[in-house]
Amino acid sequence: MSYRNLLGIRNLEPSDIATLIQMASSFKERVNRGENTASPTKHVIGLLFFEGSTRTRVSFEQAAHYLGHKVTNFASQGSSMSKGETLKDTIETLRYERLESLVMRHPASGSAHLAARFFGGPIINAGDGQHEHPTQALGDALTISEKKGSLSGLRVAIVGDVLHSRVARSNGWLLSKMGAEVRFVGPRTLLPSNLSLFPGTAHYDLLSGIEGADVIMCLRLQRERMRQGLVGSEGEYRRLYQINSRTIRYAERDCLVMHPGPINRGVELDDIAADGAHSTIRNQIENGIFVRMAAFEWVFGNVPTASSQKSTAKRGKK
Amino acid sequence: MRTLLKNGRILDPSINMDEIGSILMEDDQIIAVGADIDGSDCEEIYDCSGLWIAPGLVDLHVHLREPGEEHKETITTGTQSAAAGGYTTICCMPNTNPPLDKPELIDYILDRAASPEAGGVFVAPVGALTVGLMNERLSDLHALKKAGIVAASDEGAPIQDAALMTQAMELCVQFDLPIMAHCDETSLSANGCMNDGATNAMLGLKGMPRSAEEIMVMRNCLLSLHTGCQLHVLRVTTWGAVEMIRQAKYLGAPVTCEICPQNFILTDDMVGDFDPRFKTTPPLRTTVDIDILLQALADGTIDCIASDHSPHAAYEVDVPFEEAPFGMVGLESTLGLTLTHVTHKGILTPLETIRKLSTAPAKLLGLDAGTLQPGGTPVAQICVIDPDLDWTFDVSRTFSKGKNTPFNEVRLKGKGVLTFCGGEIYRDAQFNPDRYETFDLD
Repeated sequence: MSYRNLLGIRNLEPSDIATLIQMASSFKERVNRGENTASPTKHVIGLLFFEGSTRTRVSFEQAAHYLGHKVTNFASQGSSMSKGETLKDTIETLRYERLESLVMRHPASGSAHLAARFFGGPIINAGDGQHEHPTQALGDALTISEKKGSLSGLRVAIVGDVLHSRVARSNGWLLSKMGAEVRFVGPRTLLPSNLSLFPGTAHYDLLSGIEGADVIMCLRLQRERMRQGLVGSEGEYRRLYQINSRTIRYAERDCLVMHPGPINRGVELDDIAADGAHSTIRNQIENGIFVRMAAFEWVFGNVPTASSQKSTAKRGKK
Repeated sequence: MRTLLKNGRILDPSINMDEIGSILMEDDQIIAVGADIDGSDCEEIYDCSGLWIAPGLVDLHVHLREPGEEHKETITTGTQSAAAGGYTTICCMPNTNPPLDKPELIDYILDRAASPEAGGVFVAPVGALTVGLMNERLSDLHALKKAGIVAASDEGAPIQDAALMTQAMELCVQFDLPIMAHCDETSLSANGCMNDGATNAMLGLKGMPRSAEEIMVMRNCLLSLHTGCQLHVLRVTTWGAVEMIRQAKYLGAPVTCEICPQNFILTDDMVGDFDPRFKTTPPLRTTVDIDILLQALADGTIDCIASDHSPHAAYEVDVPFEEAPFGMVGLESTLGLTLTHVTHKGILTPLETIRKLSTAPAKLLGLDAGTLQPGGTPVAQICVIDPDLDWTFDVSRTFSKGKNTPFNEVRLKGKGVLTFCGGEIYRDAQFNPDRYETFDLD
């Protein structure tokens, strides 16, 4: 069987990204028109979440539902993992349970690559540690391209805890590969100290970082960062990095304000930024379903031939 | 029984000898070395023309894993691996389970190493500096010394408390024990799994900053300077740490240090897409570090080359990168890697290479090794090297239980082909025992 893995954005070609966004956009139209979007091939997909998630898991379930795939859930609680089984053994077990694809979220960076080594079928990374979260970035890209027409040439500021964020990495790779200018904005303690292999530039000052931005992506600030001493206080962060009615004026008039959720209201964003005309937070959630439909079909090799991009499927087990 | 190793290039750094000649052994002893040796009455003759004859190699930094982690390595497999790598004397690190903090455990190691199944090399145990390596109170260093340890170490559990390290150094001065220090300021490196730089930022892995290593190297060097305790810094990896050690030596501190092949060959970007075979502590650094480390090796700031042989079971390595254990196996690749990446590149002469791999490490811990001179060691310790042998390192054919190394299937130039420790303990398939017959016609 010919299949692909979706482990991250970093190793994708721009043409792959364009195909995925195009497929997602087409699924969205068809679902909204009430058309049948059933996949030409039906598969049994395992959802493996070793970390809590509501929206991402529901979104994958919805995507599978629209495509007519069967989904089986597997959580680390109450599973063999809690009895000391290694991740490799769990992955191999699920392979011989005849699951055809795995969607996996795991707290360790690189765990999706490990799963891909041992599964022998498509792996979709639903977030691995602080490394990548490719379907989030694809959903965000669909949202931006709906609002702005194209990604190329846009100025995008990714604001907040970049160091610990898989969303920042995947979005940074995607946007820079598609020709956008990416700026990472945050305190020195929350940006990597060496960005030479990172898809964007560093800005420690919010206002210069978002100046002229077409898109502002806020990242969630975990309370743990305050306990670790990486941020002095929530108040300090709010004062220096919050997107609100005052700071947003430094960006373009029609800029988008995005957030992967869940939001700490009053910290990363105020109510006006979160709920106002700039906000795309609800579109992001909805679009998450359609890019995950695209992701399923793309990994299974069901890419429409109408697409101008030639399929570059890897054959057999990697 | 008399044995002759004839017509080799004799490299003996203990007397700066580099000349073509032969070595005559009577039973397990070297009785003559030089150009004009009459070997006419020898029962066994090895023709060594085109080969180097060096003192058996000495590795100050080996994890034999026994007791407690026999699934990774045993004293038997580890010493066999050492013999195959050209080593005749190795130091085993104390971070076993339980750690080597009691004389009975030292007796056990020495017994096991002397058993007939073992590889036939000398094992010099390194004791745990603190009880259980818990860094709360010091081990009974006097009793450990009497039992046979050659040094004490905090390997695997670097002592953070400067007062505790000072006390350890004071007692080690009194008992004439060098300290082998694992230098890591763990408040900076905690949960880190690779060098803090561009690659870990890209991969979303927590970094181990170079300052974590350098701060602890500096602290330990200063404590060594002020207490007079002999300090051996394990595994130097950064240019900053080299400069700290250079300065400490300049100030007269009794400090030495080692480097491992991975740290002068590999860089952090080679971790690629999370390959756990590249995970070491201190971690792989950058090409800038490698340049300075190699200079420091040549100018003598770095005293010796060690393997940091760290075997693990396959299932322990097939896990997400951040959960994988640190280290790689090295006993059977260190000589080949050093010859390929240092000697053949002209960074060290053959004589200086052997000094870093044998004479210098033996001397700095006072081990009976590292020389070819008659009576210089209790029994003959010899490593015969084919410096030009092209070979591929195949980890599936190694003696070590651990197969964790990024050097598998790497092409190398130069290999140990014969090892003697008393008698012959290793003969490589590439060494033809009959080759002398085609030459020995005069």
